[in-house]
Amino acid sequence: MRFIARYAKERGRIFEITTVYDTEVKKEQVDKEKPVIGTLSHEHPAALWFERKMQDDFGIIVEDAFDKRPLVHQEQFPKHVHPMRKDFHAKELEFSEFQPYNYEVINGDGVFQVSVGPIHAGIIEPGHFHFSQAGEKMLHLEVRHFYKYRAIEKMLEGKTLHEAKPIIERISGNESIAYQICWRDIVLQASQQELPLALQKQHAFLLELERIIHHLTDLGFIPNDAGFGAALALGSKLAEDARRKMKEITGHRFGFGAIDFENRLLDTASLDEWLYDMEENIEYFEDWIIDIPSLWDRFDTTGMLSLKKAVKYDSVGVVARASGLATDRRLNAFYLQHGFELSSEISGDVAARFKVRISEVKNSLKMMHNLLEEDTTALHIKSVDDGEYVSFTESSIGELFMAIDIKEGVIERFFVRDASFMNWQALHVMMRKDIIADFPLINKSCDLSYAGNDL
Amino acid sequence: MMKFWNKRVKLGILTENPELEDDIKAIQKEIKDKVKKKFAGSLAIRMVDSGSCNACEAECNALSNPYYDLERLGIYFVASPRHADVMLLSGLMTFNMTPHVLEAYEQIPEPKWVITLGDCPVMAAPFEKTFAIKAPADKYLKITHHIAGCPPSPKEIMLGLLEFLKKI
Repeated sequence: MRFIARYAKERGRIFEITTVYDTEVKKEQVDKEKPVIGTLSHEHPAALWFERKMQDDFGIIVEDAFDKRPLVHQEQFPKHVHPMRKDFHAKELEFSEFQPYNYEVINGDGVFQVSVGPIHAGIIEPGHFHFSQAGEKMLHLEVRHFYKYRAIEKMLEGKTLHEAKPIIERISGNESIAYQICWRDIVLQASQQELPLALQKQHAFLLELERIIHHLTDLGFIPNDAGFGAALALGSKLAEDARRKMKEITGHRFGFGAIDFENRLLDTASLDEWLYDMEENIEYFEDWIIDIPSLWDRFDTTGMLSLKKAVKYDSVGVVARASGLATDRRLNAFYLQHGFELSSEISGDVAARFKVRISEVKNSLKMMHNLLEEDTTALHIKSVDDGEYVSFTESSIGELFMAIDIKEGVIERFFVRDASFMNWQALHVMMRKDIIADFPLINKSCDLSYAGNDL
Repeated sequence: MMKFWNKRVKLGILTENPELEDDIKAIQKEIKDKVKKKFAGSLAIRMVDSGSCNACEAECNALSNPYYDLERLGIYFVASPRHADVMLLSGLMTFNMTPHVLEAYEQIPEPKWVITLGDCPVMAAPFEKTFAIKAPADKYLKITHHIAGCPPSPKEIMLGLLEFLKKI
């Protein structure tokens, strides 16, 4: 059973804890006066962050957890403040006294600590990595995030689905289309409407375009982190070409605002031609890069995530597929009809994640030909009904899960779990045999989102 | 190997907006003394993300792609605030990042400037104020210039930086 998410909701005098697996959903209720639950982290280590987040957000006590440190609330966050409770309304919080955070460390003769971040050397998002080192060898890594915590879940409460849209599409810029499609599916469920095939194809086209932009950027940056800058020049050129195409189609370089129920007329002939051109380029790129032995010397066997560990940590997306775990939300009739093929590798190293990305770009381009449609049927959205809705989308990083409860027409509880939230928790098990100089390469090969993780 | 060089020759030079080079030359002439004195002919930028959606960072990374090639203008992104003249600040100044942003600012040697990037640090993006957001950034830092957009495109960032150079 694959663990997907665990989150709490406040329901009058109780907290309802929802645990989502791929095959079932479990619900338990605890009294608000004495909110104590048991941990799932022994069977599913990735449940740990969900539980620590619940503890910060609601003050729920996870009795038998081996790790009860705060997750979202950092050193200067006021104690005993649980912002996701309904009686919390403050718009401003003062910094409280600095309380040191106890990092997970390994001690011993000659073992030393390396602390990296939250501000990194490159142009990347903030996050903290804490290494225990024996010389160059990494003994342990603790990933510590939530520097970008904007309290999105709280921000969206009390808004209608349409008011929430501009915020949802800006949760994680690289995955904007995926977030919007999750939102779209919830709107459709809540208004009990079916999406016309033409629109479904158009949205899927944009999602694949977003995926190739993200993958092409990574295909440049991963070799760059191994010291091969030429790949970045070509990769970033191709990514820019695709981003400009996004702008041409949606009017925005990241596709903010692109998923709605209107239908844009696409110039299918010129897009077809552009797709052929991209295919030629990616084939050239693959042919060229596969022949650089010094690069593969760095990629092969680096940052290995075994299939066993990928299953244990309930990994998703590119990371899971590179370790031989066949999970992809696109494994459904619609995508299979339009030429979807699951890309996977078995070695689980940086090389595998790199190759999965190349193969996915090629498959996406092939699918995009089939997704082009000249039909312009649009959809008018009726009013939405109250209820509890969930949706899944495969973003460029992996499975995205969104759950929205609507009460009296507005959002009562908003929950979203980025693929990154799962995969960050598996990052430290990839480092077992590597030296610290390989860390940036391993991290980049997973290319996880900080913004989507922190919310 | 031949394939690579064939492709290279076929692609040629992709860099756009060569007029910006003339612009920077004009500016350099105009504010030659300032730039020479303060920046030794080049401007070093420390990009700090204080809680954005990563789109502003993606656009800053795009500035190094062959179409924009920012470095030809003598403008560099540097790895440490201690190497920087300017802090380019994106994001919402989250509760958890604000102390680190201020610390990074402290580390920049004088004279120093702050440019805000994108709609977030001035609270013009669709995000609403919550307890976890400390923006607008001008409550904490003196902002010299602002580059608007959600996110600003690479060209807008380039033009914004040139405007900043004219300003100081």
